[in-house]
Amino acid sequence: MEYLHSDIADHTQQREKLQHFHVLAVDDSLIERKLLERLLRESSCKVTCVDSGDKALEYLGLLDSQEIDRSTASSFCPQSSTQEGLKTVNLIMTDYSMPGMSGYDLLKRVKGSSRKDIPVVVMSSENVPSRISMCMEEGAEEFLLKPVQLSDLKKQLQPHLLKLPVHPKIDMTTSNDNGNGSMIIDITMNNNQNVVVSKRKTMTPEPLERRPQMKGLAVI
Amino acid sequence: MDGVAQLQKQLVDYTASLFQEGFLDEQFNQLQQLQDESNPDFVVEVVSLFFEDSERLLNELAKALELKTIDFRKVDAHVHQFKGSSSSIGAQRVQKVCIAFRNYCEEQNIEGCLKCLQQVKHEYSLVKSKLETLFKIEKQLIAAGGSIPT
Repeated sequence: MEYLHSDIADHTQQREKLQHFHVLAVDDSLIERKLLERLLRESSCKVTCVDSGDKALEYLGLLDSQEIDRSTASSFCPQSSTQEGLKTVNLIMTDYSMPGMSGYDLLKRVKGSSRKDIPVVVMSSENVPSRISMCMEEGAEEFLLKPVQLSDLKKQLQPHLLKLPVHPKIDMTTSNDNGNGSMIIDITMNNNQNVVVSKRKTMTPEPLERRPQMKGLAVI
Repeated sequence: MDGVAQLQKQLVDYTASLFQEGFLDEQFNQLQQLQDESNPDFVVEVVSLFFEDSERLLNELAKALELKTIDFRKVDAHVHQFKGSSSSIGAQRVQKVCIAFRNYCEEQNIEGCLKCLQQVKHEYSLVKSKLETLFKIEKQLIAAGGSIPT
């Protein structure tokens, strides 16, 4: 991928880590997991599916036993881990109604943990307003009704994917450009070590290209 | 009309009838849209999972409703799963029976539940047979050198 300016070469490791938006999908139904996995891969995401809240917590390294053993637990792929042996997860999508730990319970556990910054989307086949507000109040990013459509998912993922380094599949052009200006893409690193891609228009009469122009790179 | 064109027409007409008769709904279209060259058997795979899962659930439901003391919460849990999976593949008539079934569970109405069990078994076997026919036509079409119209 040659699209990043050489100034960013030092941050290659960060870039490689962020190149695949990783979704952890949690659902006790095999059919639902298969569907969700297909939908997510269609949306250019990397997917890991688990069949319970407990397995999700285990994957996230949030089981009590894991939090104690953090230093010794590295039997999973080390190259896909952040420091402390934790796996990178950019989004959790969980079913609400599951036997044992519900999606709501999982949401609470995640939001009360060291991994509370991972956005959690809750899905349910039932449209129960009190359930929805309960989840939103607990910090869910979104509540989706099942069956989840590809269009819902793409809408959901778009703001997240925009935070990743420029990817050929992402269309960075806007439809409201009247041709008087051009798109400048700023790629910066924020305090959370996330690469943030932002667009701004200038009034210079340069041709608008389909690929973003690499001007104004500022790496903090 | 040559063989391929004939099969294509048969497929299109048969699929349309399944939608018209309410056996399938829009969600089935969504499944078909997710099938492509990298996932050529997606629909058959998901539907096969549905068949396996449904047979398991129907067995569980029959057993649960045969007990002297019926645990309606357990029955409801099974129906909820069945409703979910049928909804996910677009098996509309099965899903509709599941909705009625859940209401009877909530009311703890044994007669209603038994009636729904029979109904859901019936609807399930209908949609299963319809889908198997659909897949058969698709197979014939592909064997004749045609492709499934999108």
